[in-house]
Amino acid sequence: MTAPLAGIRVVDLTMVWAGPLGTRLLGDYGAEVIKVEGPGQWDLLRGLGGIPRTEPRWYNRAAYFNHNNRNKYSAAIDLRQEAGRDLLLQLLAKSDVLVENYRANVMDNLGLSFEEVRQANPRIVYVSMPGHGKTGPEAHYVTYGTNVEQLAGLVSISGYEGGEPLKTGFSYGDPTSGIAVPAAVALGLRQRDRTGEAVHIDLAQRENLTGFVGEYLVDYSMNGEPRTPAGNTHPHMAPHGVYRSAGDDRWIAIACEDDEQFAGLCRAMQQPELADDARFATTASRKANEQELDEVIEAWTSRLGHYEAMHVLQRHGVPAGAVLTIPEVMSDPQLRSRGAWSEQVHPDAGAWEVETPPWNLPRTPGHARLPAPCFGEHNAYVFRDVLGLDEEAIARLYADGVTADEPNVQSHT
Amino acid sequence: MPLPLEGIRVLEVGTFVSAPYCGRLFAGYGAEVIKVEPPGGDLARAHGPFKDGEPNPETSALFLYLNTNKQSVELDLASQAGRDALLRLAADADVIIENFRPGDARALGLEYERLRAVNPRLVLVSITAYGQEGPYAEYRSNNLIAFAMGGQMFITGDPDREPVKNGGYQADYQGGLNAFSAANLALLAAERDGEGQHVDISVQHCMGPILEAGIPFYSYNGMWLGQRRGNLMSSFMGVYPCLDGQVGVHVMARNFPPFARATGHPEWLEDERFATAESRREHDDVLMAEVIAWAAGVTKKEAYALGGEHRAPITFIHTMKDLLESPQLASRGYLRRIDHPVAGEATYPGPPWWMGPDAWRDGPAPLLGEHTEAVLGEAGLSAAEVAAATGGPA
Repeated sequence: MTAPLAGIRVVDLTMVWAGPLGTRLLGDYGAEVIKVEGPGQWDLLRGLGGIPRTEPRWYNRAAYFNHNNRNKYSAAIDLRQEAGRDLLLQLLAKSDVLVENYRANVMDNLGLSFEEVRQANPRIVYVSMPGHGKTGPEAHYVTYGTNVEQLAGLVSISGYEGGEPLKTGFSYGDPTSGIAVPAAVALGLRQRDRTGEAVHIDLAQRENLTGFVGEYLVDYSMNGEPRTPAGNTHPHMAPHGVYRSAGDDRWIAIACEDDEQFAGLCRAMQQPELADDARFATTASRKANEQELDEVIEAWTSRLGHYEAMHVLQRHGVPAGAVLTIPEVMSDPQLRSRGAWSEQVHPDAGAWEVETPPWNLPRTPGHARLPAPCFGEHNAYVFRDVLGLDEEAIARLYADGVTADEPNVQSHT
Repeated sequence: MPLPLEGIRVLEVGTFVSAPYCGRLFAGYGAEVIKVEPPGGDLARAHGPFKDGEPNPETSALFLYLNTNKQSVELDLASQAGRDALLRLAADADVIIENFRPGDARALGLEYERLRAVNPRLVLVSITAYGQEGPYAEYRSNNLIAFAMGGQMFITGDPDREPVKNGGYQADYQGGLNAFSAANLALLAAERDGEGQHVDISVQHCMGPILEAGIPFYSYNGMWLGQRRGNLMSSFMGVYPCLDGQVGVHVMARNFPPFARATGHPEWLEDERFATAESRREHDDVLMAEVIAWAAGVTKKEAYALGGEHRAPITFIHTMKDLLESPQLASRGYLRRIDHPVAGEATYPGPPWWMGPDAWRDGPAPLLGEHTEAVLGEAGLSAAEVAAATGGPA
C-alpha cells in the first residue's frame, strides 16, 4: 500500500526547525519534498553542527540539520534573482504544496506572494507559518521558538510553585508548530480537491501554541483571576511531583490520581498503614498535607534508581515514570522496542542513529528512506527531470549564480 | 464554501485532554464529532478551574475549552448494551479517537478487529503514553509522567533544583495535535481505497525526538550538556525580569546588530569581545550582565515595541490578560466569544491555523448527554435499547 502522501510534491522553503520538522513529516509519510536553499541563503543549521570549517563539506555534516531534513531532496536556487524566482514558479507549477516560514513580508518582497504563486499554479496549497501570522500590527516582528511560547501565554503559567515564570528547556514553539503541518496540509489538499482552487493556510505559530493553554484563557475570561506557576503540583491530585532518586541528578515522577493508586504507592514503599493515616487517607487530605507526604516519599525514592522505582510502582498500579535524560531517551527499552531509532547512512556524515517516523500507521507506514540531502544534491533531478530544462539552460543557471553545487560559505558566520 | 472537514464523522471515546483536543480540532474544522462520555461525564468535567470557583460539570474551563462544537452522548461501555450501541455508531463513523491504555480500550469495546468487521474504512486513532505494544504498553501514565518519560522534563528547570514540567497539560496537548495530523493522513489514505487502519500514537515517541539539537548532538557528535539552564540559557537566549514583568530574547548571530540597537547599546557593535558569535560566547557572562541590566530598566511593552521597530527578536511574557488585550490577536480575529447555556459567555482560542473566514466554527461545548437520544435514535436504537446502553432503567 502506498504512503498517505504518495504522489504529492512539496516545495520546502523553510529553515531551522519548525518548518523543516513539518516538511520532514510530510516526507516521512510519502510526499516528495524538495528543499530549496539559496547558494548564499542556506539553512543556517548547516553551520551549527560543531564541525570545524576546515573539514571538507562540513555544511553537509551538521547533525541537527540532518535530523530535520531527511526524506528531502535539495535544490539550490537564488530567489533574489529574477531568473531564480522564475525557476521557482516553474517548479511550483508542477507541485502541490508550498511551505514557507519566513517573516510575514519576505515572500511578498520576493514576488512570491500567494496571489503571484496562484497565477503560476491555480491549485497550489500555500502554507505560511510565520511566528505572528501574515497579518496584524506585529506581523513583521522577528520571532523564534522561545519567543513563541512567551507570546502564547505558556511561560506565564510555567515555573516552580510560587516562583517566576520559567521557559521550557528548549525552543518549544518550534516542534509544536511543526507537528501541525501534516494536518494543515491534509486539510488544504482536501479543500483544494473539493473546490479545485488554491488554498492559503496561515499558521501563526503563537496562535497554534495558544491552543495548548486554552483552558487558562477561558478561565481568565470567566473569572478574571490570573493563575501563577504551580511547578509539578496539580490543583487536586497529591502526590504529584518529582522525587530524588539514587544517583546524581536523577529523579522519578509520581502522580496518584485516586486513593487506590495511593494505596499501591504505600504498599510499594512497604508502609501500607500510610494509606489509612488521617493525614493522607483522601485526595483532599493528601493535598492539604502534600509537603509532609512528599518528604515521606522522597525518603523512599532516594534509595532506588529511577527506573527501578518506576517498575516497582507500576507493579503496584501507580503512575510513575523516570525523568529521562537524553542518553536515557535514546536507550529507553520501550522506545527501542517500538523501533523509535534506526541507523541511517549519509554520504558525507557517515552512519548514525536517527528517529523513525513517530506515528505508526501500519497499513501505510512512514519511512526513513533518504538521509538529509547534501547541499544542491538534487539540482540535476529538479532542473532536468522535473522542469525539463536542457543542458544549455542548466549551464546558464550555474554561470549566472542562480544555482550552485556548493553553498557560499561566507554568507553565514 | 464548505468547512474543510465537513462530511467527516468522528467518534471521540476519550477522556481528559489528549483525545478531546484532537476531537476539538476535528469539530472546529467542520467534522461532526460525537463525544462518548461515561455515565457522570468526562473526567475533565470534574476538574477545574470552574466558573466562580464552584464545582459544576457544566462550567469547567478545561471541559468547556476542549469540547467546543461536539455532541455529547452518555454511554455505559462497561455494559454489553453500551458496547453494542458503540458498535452501531462505529458502523457510520470515519474516525474513532481514543486514549485508554490498550487493555482498557479493548475492555471498552475498542478492539480494532471488531470495529473493522463492522466498518472496514474506519480509522481508529489510539493515543497512549507508550504505544500499543512493548514492555511499558500497559504502564499507567498521565501528563506529568509523560513529560518525564518524553525527556522534556529533565532539561526544564533550574540547574540547582529539581526538573519541572511546564504549565498546564503540555504532554497531553502534544499527543492530541500529533494524533490530529496522523489521523488526517490516515483519512486521506482511507478515502483513496476504502481501507482504514489502527493508528498508534505513542506520546513518548512524539516527545522524545524533539529535544531541539539534544538528540542529534548526542547521537552523532557524542555531546550531551547534561544540565538544566533555567531562564538564563545564555546572553542571547533567555527570560529576564523587567520593570513590570519579564522579557524574552532569542538572538541568532544575524540578529545581534539589531538587538544592540534595540537595547540602546550600539557600542556593543564596536566592542571586540562581542564581534563574532564565538567571541560573544566567550564573554557570555559579561554580555548577559549587560542584557539583564537593560531588561531591568524597561517595561515589557516598551521592550517589545523596540524589538519590533529594530527587527530584533525581543518579546515579553504574555499573561492571559495580555492575550485578551493583544492588538495582534484582536486584529486577526483569533479570539472568539462563545456563549454557553450554563457557563455563559467566555473568550476562547480560535483555529490553530487560518484557512479563510468560513473554515472554523464557534459552537459551545455540549451539556452532559445533551445528544444521547437524538444520536442513538438516529442510529436506529429503540428507547429501551437507549436506556440499557446509557445505564438507565430498561
